[in-house]
Amino acid sequence: MPATAENTIPSSATTARPAFAITRKRTRFLGLTLDECIQAFFGGNALVALIVLALIMVFLFREGAAFFGQNQRNLTVYRQAGLEYIDHIRRQETAHTALTRRLYDLRLAAFTQLTQNQRLSPADANARLAALDDFSVRFSDAVMPIRGLVSDLGEVAAAIKTRFNVNEDKTTQRAQLLAEGRAAEAAQVVIEPVDFAAELQPILDTLPLYRETNAAFAAGLETLLTAAPSLAQIEPGLDARMDEFKRQTRACIATFPEIERKLAAWDYAQPVPLTASLSAFIFGRDWLTASFWQDWYGIIPLFTGSLLVSIVALLIAVPLGVGAAIYVNQVATPREQRLIKPAIEFISAFPSVVLGFFGIAVLGELLRRFSQAGWVHWVPGFPIIERLNALTAGCLLALISIPTIFTLAEDALNNVPRALKEASCALGASRLQTIVKIITPAALSGIISAILLGFGRVIGETMIVLLCAGNRIAIPDFTSGPAALTQPVHTMTGIIAQEMGEVVRGGIHYRALFVVGIALFLLSLAINYAAQKIITRYRIAE
Amino acid sequence: MTLPPPRTPKIENRESKIAPPAPVRTLIEITGLDFYYSEKKALDDIHLRLPEKRVTAFIGPSGCGKSTLLRCLNRMNDLIDGTAIRRGSIKINGIDINRPDVDPIELRKRVGMVFQKSNPFPKSIYENIAYGLRIQGINTKSRLDEVVERSLRGAALWDEVKDRLHESGLGLSGGQQQRLCIARALAVGPEIILMDEPCSALDPIATAKIEELIHELKRRYTLIIVTHSMQQAARCSDFTAFFYLGRLIEHADTRTIFMSPSNPQTEAYVSGRFG
Ligand SMILES: Nc1ncnc2c1ncn2[C@@H]1O[C@H](COP(=O)(O)OP(=O)(O)OP(=O)(O)O)[C@@H](O)[C@H]1O
Ligand SMILES: [Mg+2]
Repeated sequence: MPATAENTIPSSATTARPAFAITRKRTRFLGLTLDECIQAFFGGNALVALIVLALIMVFLFREGAAFFGQNQRNLTVYRQAGLEYIDHIRRQETAHTALTRRLYDLRLAAFTQLTQNQRLSPADANARLAALDDFSVRFSDAVMPIRGLVSDLGEVAAAIKTRFNVNEDKTTQRAQLLAEGRAAEAAQVVIEPVDFAAELQPILDTLPLYRETNAAFAAGLETLLTAAPSLAQIEPGLDARMDEFKRQTRACIATFPEIERKLAAWDYAQPVPLTASLSAFIFGRDWLTASFWQDWYGIIPLFTGSLLVSIVALLIAVPLGVGAAIYVNQVATPREQRLIKPAIEFISAFPSVVLGFFGIAVLGELLRRFSQAGWVHWVPGFPIIERLNALTAGCLLALISIPTIFTLAEDALNNVPRALKEASCALGASRLQTIVKIITPAALSGIISAILLGFGRVIGETMIVLLCAGNRIAIPDFTSGPAALTQPVHTMTGIIAQEMGEVVRGGIHYRALFVVGIALFLLSLAINYAAQKIITRYRIAE
Repeated sequence: MTLPPPRTPKIENRESKIAPPAPVRTLIEITGLDFYYSEKKALDDIHLRLPEKRVTAFIGPSGCGKSTLLRCLNRMNDLIDGTAIRRGSIKINGIDINRPDVDPIELRKRVGMVFQKSNPFPKSIYENIAYGLRIQGINTKSRLDEVVERSLRGAALWDEVKDRLHESGLGLSGGQQQRLCIARALAVGPEIILMDEPCSALDPIATAKIEELIHELKRRYTLIIVTHSMQQAARCSDFTAFFYLGRLIEHADTRTIFMSPSNPQTEAYVSGRFG
């Protein structure tokens, strides 16, 4: 009976809810609770990001990978058409030209010496240098027979290559027509295969002639050297330079037999391996496109350009960024902190194209004017010749990377336990000693990783280098030492931005730009990874 | 430094019960000190005379200002923005340490400090101790070797670390690290050593070692130790000062404070009824 049952139940259970209520009914949506929905939303976002990243990488690598096959074919034609053969000889000519340029430099130095230090009139100075001038002219003319040979053979080889290229075009045309089902028209496209062996024969036949010319060339240079005028009466230092010039010329002559041997052993049919294509890219010293002779896709000039610009940027940004971080973190009053921190972080609000514009319009000219002032001529590379160069771009890139370096370095300093600072002060260390000997070393790993990330930021920056770096594709002349920093350069990012718009999709040039992109990506990845590693590896134990 | 005339304190020394009363000189003299963190008053009208070559313990509930007063003695509060002594003075050996011509760096060489949490530098044991000398421009190896050994012996750590002087100081145990910090403080040759709860992070055995060390040190140094442990205060100090809400409530020799305090608040605190 209900009445008796009620009496026996303990009083706490008489209320409707169970004594120990820990279950709750949840509203469900598609079988998921609200929490799970939220979780799925965020997880989904992360997943999309990952998928997009993966797709980009797959695309990048797929487009880029085909480059190496194409470049292999490119190099094969270079060999089969005999261009490689001629370039061996041409190298001799280039070396001779470089030597001639040295001779001109020497003359300039001697002339300056005479007019400025010995106060001769230009006419008198020229008279004193007549012997040297005569020597220079004869030295520079010595190469004429070789030059003639190269240009004659070059025409033949270029013709072979053109013939080959025409054939290639016709093959594609025919394939296209066949694909469109226009077999009759396709049959009309006649392809005469190039018989490389026969075509090359006239070139190879000139080997004895070359040997003769070369021997005469070497002998000519030797006799010239023995009769070289002495510069000792003008200045002993110049004579030493003359001796150096002679030494270099003799070294150059010593390479001639090697070239002859190469030519004799040269074989047009020798296959070009895929690794040659790879190393031609990685170690290639030329980036030369749309050339009538031969296209080269070597990343070295672009890489050194990027590196040079980054070095300039870091040379400026590291002292400023780290210094500002130390000041703000350790020395500044709270008021100064409130002022400086947002100000530095504000720099990153500048669109880089605006900075680039500023570089073209103002900074480049300003730097050049400044470099022309007499009292800074001791600085290597000054006076600057080109308005847009690695220095101009580097200055602006420094501005870009300062916020990154500053913010991260400040974080690192902030993470140094306060107890270390107190311990140092309690031992009677001054503030400066504490900063230099305790705080900065303790934050060093963080500061280094800040610098690395700043480096990553700089090397990936495009707009500024495109506008301000001068865009000259050449390896900077490092023989002039730090003066290399004031030369115009081209960069990996700049070349992609500049050339991607005008290349044929799927062509070798297009793919080469992709490979540059991949190199850039890998470089950034390595930098970021290193930064991560350093900061976790050397974080001081708290 | 001009020495103040020696005087016998009114409060009696525990040792005086056994030996004839030795004259104890006042080394630190605090008069009417008011200390502020910005607008917050942390110390209120403190009058205190601390004897030379004795151990004085500061006790009191959390937040009563023990650390603040301790840090006033080597001007560590200068490192905190907005702190100020609004009234009163602190004299050590008769010299007002807050006078403008007193160099806090020189002061801190004379008044060493050991912190609650051991804080060795991320350097080798040797360099941790040599640091205080190196910043004074002393770099002679023989001199450094000598001071390192003497300091480590002084902190009763030499035997444990003499074979690993060039390993990181962070590789030591907590108690060893704390003794390393004491050795580091000894290396610069202080007269006074301030210790802010030096054992609060240590196990009983490490604590016993430090307490033993304190006994040793008081022969040559004046020690002031902040502690939350009544037993510790009773075991190692000669005098005890009890603080409450920024005020000094009672200061007497340790036995008096623990056996027969004159103030009921002190009594309540030492007997564990509040705090
Ligand atoms: N840096 C600071 N800024 C502002 N107020 C502070 C600061 N340090 C301490 N105080 C305040 O000053 C008072 C005294 O602090 P103090 O650290 O001296 O206490 P304490 O006696 O050492 O306490 P504990 O035993 O917990 O260490 C407290 O009320 C505290 O809140
Ligand atoms: Mg405290």
